[in-house]
Amino acid sequence: MDRWFLIIATLLAAIGGVWGMISVHHGIRSRWTVLWMGAAVVCQLGFLSLRGHLRGACPLQDIGEILVFLAWAITSIYLLIGPAYRISLLGVFTAPLVFGLQAAALISGMLTALPVRELPTGVFHALHSSLSVLAYGALAVAGVAGIMFLVLDRQLKAHVMRSGLFRNLPPAHELLVSLERLLWLGTGLLTCGVVAGFLMPRTPQMQHTHLFLALAVWAGYAGLLAVKAVRGLTGRKLALSTVAMFIFSLLVFARV
Amino acid sequence: MELFCLGLNHRTAPVEVRERFAVSTPRLGAAATELTSMAEAAEGVVISTCNRTEFYLAAPDAQHGLLQLESGLTRRERLDGSVSSHFYRKVKADAAQHLCRVVSGLDSMMLGETEIFGQVKQAYQAALAAGATGSVLNRLFQRAFGVGKKVRTETSIQEGSTSVGNVAVDLAEKIFGHLKDSEVMILGAGEMGRITAQSLVSRGARAIFVSNRSFDKAEELARDMGGTAVRFDDWQHALERVDVVISSTGCPHALVHRADVEKVRRARKFRPLFFIDIAVPRDIHPDVAEIEEVYLYDIDTLENLANEARARRQCQIAHCELIIDTELAKLNLPGT
Repeated sequence: MDRWFLIIATLLAAIGGVWGMISVHHGIRSRWTVLWMGAAVVCQLGFLSLRGHLRGACPLQDIGEILVFLAWAITSIYLLIGPAYRISLLGVFTAPLVFGLQAAALISGMLTALPVRELPTGVFHALHSSLSVLAYGALAVAGVAGIMFLVLDRQLKAHVMRSGLFRNLPPAHELLVSLERLLWLGTGLLTCGVVAGFLMPRTPQMQHTHLFLALAVWAGYAGLLAVKAVRGLTGRKLALSTVAMFIFSLLVFARV
Repeated sequence: MELFCLGLNHRTAPVEVRERFAVSTPRLGAAATELTSMAEAAEGVVISTCNRTEFYLAAPDAQHGLLQLESGLTRRERLDGSVSSHFYRKVKADAAQHLCRVVSGLDSMMLGETEIFGQVKQAYQAALAAGATGSVLNRLFQRAFGVGKKVRTETSIQEGSTSVGNVAVDLAEKIFGHLKDSEVMILGAGEMGRITAQSLVSRGARAIFVSNRSFDKAEELARDMGGTAVRFDDWQHALERVDVVISSTGCPHALVHRADVEKVRRARKFRPLFFIDIAVPRDIHPDVAEIEEVYLYDIDTLENLANEARARRQCQIAHCELIIDTELAKLNLPGT
């Protein structure tokens, strides 16, 4: 049953993305993507709550669950900020990422077929996992805003104004402002997640590499924000760094 | 009752003829009543803009009404018969179709412009308030507004900017969003620069700085635009704070070089900088565009973008006319 929720959520994200891209291609601003993504988030919640019930714990116990939790965090943050800040096309750019993460989770071996009930791991473990994944959700959406900026910047530099994409993309300044806000939100959540991680009770078999990688990711984002605030950064460098940092942060998942 | 329209516009009449028939906005209602009685008609609406004056009337006999109106107007303006060659006459369905074309911006000097929609609405409301309209014209105008809206939403007849100034303003908005936090500097006190800066101010630009070799001219232009004059030796200083630079000096060589911009990048914290170079020869060296946060558009690029938008609008005409014909066929308007 849980997999069906995930399959439907993946299909909804795919439809949302394809629908949005077709609309953009025809120069139309479609409001349907937000509805498809809204339906996807309901299915993601269905999946996560079923897995959480089976686990008797936060559903972040295998790589598949983490990927779906991340997809849920990305979709939720998009639904929170996209329509509120009127960042048109954020959904069109977010949907493929959500689709990719969920499709990866569906690959055989990513999700434990029969999840076992977890022993209580303590509040700091649960906080570390959930806050970190929420943080990566915000940072992933910042990366999506970064890609949108890079596309617009390229079109502005090349004097290409004909495409539906150009007409529908939000202004460059608004993309950079949203990107920076998302970086602050993500870094703030990540700070709490990393602190909770260091407060987790230690066991001899616990691997420290994961926490150190998380710390490195945190330091990278904090450094990026510090440079932006103190020295300033061009939009292109900020966007490229955000995208690169997110790709680097996926290493933490590889080491889960 | 039959519908008819008598009019002249920028294509059929020169300005010295159009101005004779122009009606000021406050007089639109009174003029509608007056012309209705002149044409022995039952209903009338007068539309008057800088490019056209049109009289829409409903009378028992359209041909008789047209003759009465034309001779009455010629007499009133003390013109000879040659003026009639500047008029166009539309009756019944043709008049309804023409109004829909006007409302949709298809008959405008700048194809697809949106201002005409509001102007026609204003003219109709003035006639309505003056009691000059009845069932025929009320239905016609209300339906024409519906058709006009449909044309604008279902086609891209109003998309893109068709003048250099508007292209520049649209680009500024694409870079900075709303312009209320943007500051603009004009280099040179030329007319094109002034018009472009005026457009940016009308869309909310926060501050204007004017720099010119002749400081008196800079002060004069700054005063006109509510801005600040900057001595020509100091424009590089002002570059640290502004977001948009419009350059239109008569300088025979490039005035702004890459090094000038590189010098102020740190102080600007690498914020985006938009250069609009409308000078010939160009004021801004093309190398400036290689700086990451700089967007440089010269006059040819802006002209090309405006031409592309015009061409795109031209391609939409057939689609717009199809919508008008289909809608009119469905409406079965009285008087047509």
